[in-house]
Amino acid sequence: MTETTRSTDAGASRAADPDHVHLDDAAASLVPSIAGLEADAAPVPDSDKAAKRRVGWGFWVSVTWLAVIVLAAILAPWLPLKDPELPQPPVVGERPPYAPSGTYWFGTDQLNRDMFSRTIWGARTSLVVGFAAIAFGMLVGGTLGMLAGYFRGRFDAAVSFVFVVLLSFPALVLAILITALLNRSLFTISVTLGILAVAPVGRVARASTISFADREFVLASRTLGARHPRIIVRELLPNVVIPMSALALLGMAVAIVAEGGLAFLGLSVEKGSTWGKLILNGASSSRDLQEAPWMSFAPIIVLFLTVLALNFAGDRLRDYFDVKETAL
Amino acid sequence: MRFWLQRFGMAILLLLTVSALTFGAMNILGDPLFNILGPVAGDTENPESIALIEAAEAEYNLDRPLPVRWALWLGDFVTGDFGVQFSEDGQPPVSDLIAERLPRTLSLLVMAQLMAVFISIPWALWSASKANKPVDRASTVITFGMIALPNFALAVVLKYIFAIQLGWFPLAFTANDPFWSRMWQMVLPAITLAIPAAAVYQRLLRTDLITTLQEDFILTARSKGVSRNSVLFKHALRPSLFSFVTIFAINTGALIGGALIVENVFLIPGLGRAIVEAILREDFPVVLAIVMIVSAAFVVLNLLVDIIYSLIDPRVRAS
Repeated sequence: MTETTRSTDAGASRAADPDHVHLDDAAASLVPSIAGLEADAAPVPDSDKAAKRRVGWGFWVSVTWLAVIVLAAILAPWLPLKDPELPQPPVVGERPPYAPSGTYWFGTDQLNRDMFSRTIWGARTSLVVGFAAIAFGMLVGGTLGMLAGYFRGRFDAAVSFVFVVLLSFPALVLAILITALLNRSLFTISVTLGILAVAPVGRVARASTISFADREFVLASRTLGARHPRIIVRELLPNVVIPMSALALLGMAVAIVAEGGLAFLGLSVEKGSTWGKLILNGASSSRDLQEAPWMSFAPIIVLFLTVLALNFAGDRLRDYFDVKETAL
Repeated sequence: MRFWLQRFGMAILLLLTVSALTFGAMNILGDPLFNILGPVAGDTENPESIALIEAAEAEYNLDRPLPVRWALWLGDFVTGDFGVQFSEDGQPPVSDLIAERLPRTLSLLVMAQLMAVFISIPWALWSASKANKPVDRASTVITFGMIALPNFALAVVLKYIFAIQLGWFPLAFTANDPFWSRMWQMVLPAITLAIPAAAVYQRLLRTDLITTLQEDFILTARSKGVSRNSVLFKHALRPSLFSFVTIFAINTGALIGGALIVENVFLIPGLGRAIVEAILREDFPVVLAIVMIVSAAFVVLNLLVDIIYSLIDPRVRAS
């Protein structure tokens, strides 16, 4: 984080029109968690301003939790975990599922498989879906948004219309349609959720590109003879990408939650386990939920903490970079 | 006037695009003939099945090109004819199913929104009056938690605590029960939807209230001797409700998606269950109808937001 980027950011927020922030912030996302968090981009009272320039200890706690989860997911095959698919030896005289204990930290499921190990392995699929979805959204939405914001005119109008169409599709319905009509591979689901991220990401990219496109350093670069691709990649991209990292964290949380929602509609990834599928498995019958609540509660707690950490870290970063979507 | 024509034109164009995309996707990626006839559709050797196929193609206009079919379907749709369901036991009209399911989803949504509003407004007022004090900071942390628990997980937690452990609520929805008992069965699902919504509203309204409370007219009112509470309720609340109206309407769209999932946890046979059942059966007139109803609701809500917004704030109309 260099001092130069900070000062350009402050300039961008001054250029923003405060009257329209709410309307467009809210319209930017169909998903309640983003919509709610964006509400806080509204003017901050003076007493908060001093605190805003630091990310705070909560940010580092969140990042630590995320690092632990990501590392555990990556290293799962090498960690001394029980086999997630293999039924454990039953205890004499007792029928599984077993409650959490020293041996089975999160208990076991109906087939006596270790829930702790299943939750870690489930993180692999859930995190991959979340990451791939937001990466797709950033790549496609970010590119389209930047080009639209840079070139304006008819191209901008067309891209903006596509964004509006995407936003007027109820997100979940679109996901249901695609997964039901195509297939439920990891790839399809990631791309589907990625498509849903295109419009919200693209609008932010477009708005921040517009706020930078007429600045002096762009003009300077153009005067020196730089062509469009160079201006976009070398001058605008660094300024647009940094604040977008906050959005990436928030978007990843939304994608992970969306996967869980699809699981509850029976439309999640077919192979392997995800957090959504684990929760559904524990709660699919009222009897299982009553007798072995740990089967759903263990993945719920891990999912909750992960989403909380992503939201919190993203929110702090966004305040730090002062990301706003303007009604330009 | 021109502003309104533009907005209406945009809304209609949007609905046409959404319907064309959905209709096209279902027809290209799915196999309508198979949905109608079953395995017979693939049997092109047998003259009997060929006759059946041709009859079905003629009846459902499948022999026409896709854009024509879309136009025909659209004409029927806007006049209230949603087509027939593809099911083994006869072909009941889709509108019957919608008429049965829609009221349940609607009452769930209304109940959830009422709860969310009645929780969030007093909470935001209280929070804003204590801005940046420890209680306010604590309530901000709570809203973070309320938003971070996804609706399906929250549904499972609430079901476990209140329906299974405490037994206050029934485990499933019974369509034949009297009205009030059916409403009672929807309270828990409505709470599930209301909790994150309330957090979203509270955060927005609190921020806006804090901004309003720093305005000069608040200072004037206070210096005239108006009490703190009176300033909060009578002077600050109304001008702070602008963006609340927006987020309320937009969040309704998000709640529809949430309702589809929550219905599946609490076994409420609403639109959410209907669309899942229809997808499993590949019954796409039903899927199409539900997608169109939800999208239309969405577009109309957005239009309403613009209308309300420009009524309370004329600057929007000018831009």
